[in-house]
Amino acid sequence: MSNACVSFRPLIQLKISNQFGARKVIKKSLQISARLGNNSRSSPENQQVNLSVLRFTFGIPGLDESYLPRWIGYGFGSLLILNHFAGANLATYATPAQLRTEALGLSLAAFSITLPYLGKFLKGATSMDQTTIPEGSEQIFVMSPNVSNAQKEDLAWATYILLRNTNAIAVLISIQGQLCVRGYWNTPESVSKTNILDWFERQIEIIGLSDVEGKLYFPQISDSGLWEMLPKGTRSILVQPVLQAPNPSGNAMQLKNEGFVLLASSMRYAYSDKDRAWIGALAKKFRGKSTCNTDLQGL
Amino acid sequence: MEAGSFLRSPISVTHNQPLRRRIESGFPRFVGASIAANSDGRYRGPKPRRDWVADWVSKNDDFVRSLPIYVGGASLLAVLFNRTVSGVAPVADASSSQSRADLLTLGLAVTNILSGLVWLSIRPKSISMISPEGIECQRINPQLPTPVVSELLWIWESISDVTCCRSLVVVYDSSCILQIGFAAKSSDSDGEAVSVDTSTLKQGSLYQGVMKSGAQNYLANLSLYPGRSELPFLPSNTQAVILQPLGDRGIAIIGGDTIRGFTTSDQAWISLIGEKLDATLANYLENFPFAVVDKV
Repeated sequence: MSNACVSFRPLIQLKISNQFGARKVIKKSLQISARLGNNSRSSPENQQVNLSVLRFTFGIPGLDESYLPRWIGYGFGSLLILNHFAGANLATYATPAQLRTEALGLSLAAFSITLPYLGKFLKGATSMDQTTIPEGSEQIFVMSPNVSNAQKEDLAWATYILLRNTNAIAVLISIQGQLCVRGYWNTPESVSKTNILDWFERQIEIIGLSDVEGKLYFPQISDSGLWEMLPKGTRSILVQPVLQAPNPSGNAMQLKNEGFVLLASSMRYAYSDKDRAWIGALAKKFRGKSTCNTDLQGL
Repeated sequence: MEAGSFLRSPISVTHNQPLRRRIESGFPRFVGASIAANSDGRYRGPKPRRDWVADWVSKNDDFVRSLPIYVGGASLLAVLFNRTVSGVAPVADASSSQSRADLLTLGLAVTNILSGLVWLSIRPKSISMISPEGIECQRINPQLPTPVVSELLWIWESISDVTCCRSLVVVYDSSCILQIGFAAKSSDSDGEAVSVDTSTLKQGSLYQGVMKSGAQNYLANLSLYPGRSELPFLPSNTQAVILQPLGDRGIAIIGGDTIRGFTTSDQAWISLIGEKLDATLANYLENFPFAVVDKV
């Protein structure tokens, strides 16, 4: 009893549920496939438009067919312009009808060019971009020395899980002044291994990241980069502050900032809503332990 | 919704808002442009711009999906109209520049129409959530050390905030150390939540299958599975369940309120969190004798 959804590069990934509890598999196939409407289980009131549409794909791995309208827009648009000037060379002026058609064609081409950009924000769209590792950088993993063992484990695990489960290539967690840095960072050659933490602390001080009040998300960073310590080629950054747990009797506006989690990625729009929600939940793990103890007085 | 039941429990799970936060399409594209400036203004980095296009597209999802079809269709008609109005015969040949321009424009219009059709066909089906029938409970084994309890509570808070999870049960070493969220109401007169019978659970096929494979098991539509009867402590209309093994000594059972409500991303996070929980429990509870869980 599965949803018929086999396609090579789906713009969303539909799941096939296996009835006998085996691991879920997302199938991909290399052929052009027809997706049949699967409304057998839907109730009458939420019937979708039942379209059998051929999911068009070239079958070339790494080629993103959702960009096809953009290429067609560029191609046909330039052909239109060529046609206009080629026609003028023959000393026949363009008729008003032709000018109208060309104007329409050029505006359609412009619209087609923007289609992939709009499509990225639709529900269910997945990005085909891959993260790239910046050349010439090495992975580093450093942690402040005066951290308790339990906190050390938590920090190591949190940085590992963030690098593994999100599109981030670099993670920095700062809790009450203690740092944990992991991933590909742009540390200068002159800084030795022992002074690396100090260098990061100074960078953070310069930017003032410890005092960020709300979540910051920069989904599109230009080539010139944002901050010195970020790896080359960073395109999106997320800064998630770690706020103190709200005191039930206290004023919610006076939440102090205990630290932050900084994630950098080499692809644009790297963190979806869901990713950001999970990162926020992970950041809550590092809230002050003292407030957690007061909650357990009911035990 | 559950405000009344939250007040009953002695352990506050730091929820101050009465409504559940969910990842809906109305979630702002990012948070941060509207934050008030720091009082001492010490953050000196840039503030992110608001992404108007992304917001507008996600709000008008249906309209944007069919927009290319309308644009393409209208252009198609406009080209033909233009041809007839200007007196050129509607012949599809490439002899004159007019015809060539027309053909190119028609090609673009068709591209737009097809693109709109593809967008329409990949619209995800929105499935509504079903409120679980049962009562809220919060049972934690009182003999657990504090770090374990705070870890368990953090896990519950994260999973219930981010995913569609409404019930969480953790069984470790043949005893239930956590039962939190919605649970089935027992038919006894006291009307309390059904407690977890670990011995029956461990003999069931779901538990044994998960322990044997050592991997997460996602039952996306629980009503289709005969093993449903092995989880009587979950509300009867639980829609989806994730069974996450904790090493080889325990299992976490996560019940959700939407069919196929857990995304791949959720599954990946839950399985990594499960590994961490297993490490924490193994660390703190090596030879821990477990008593039967008492209601807290």
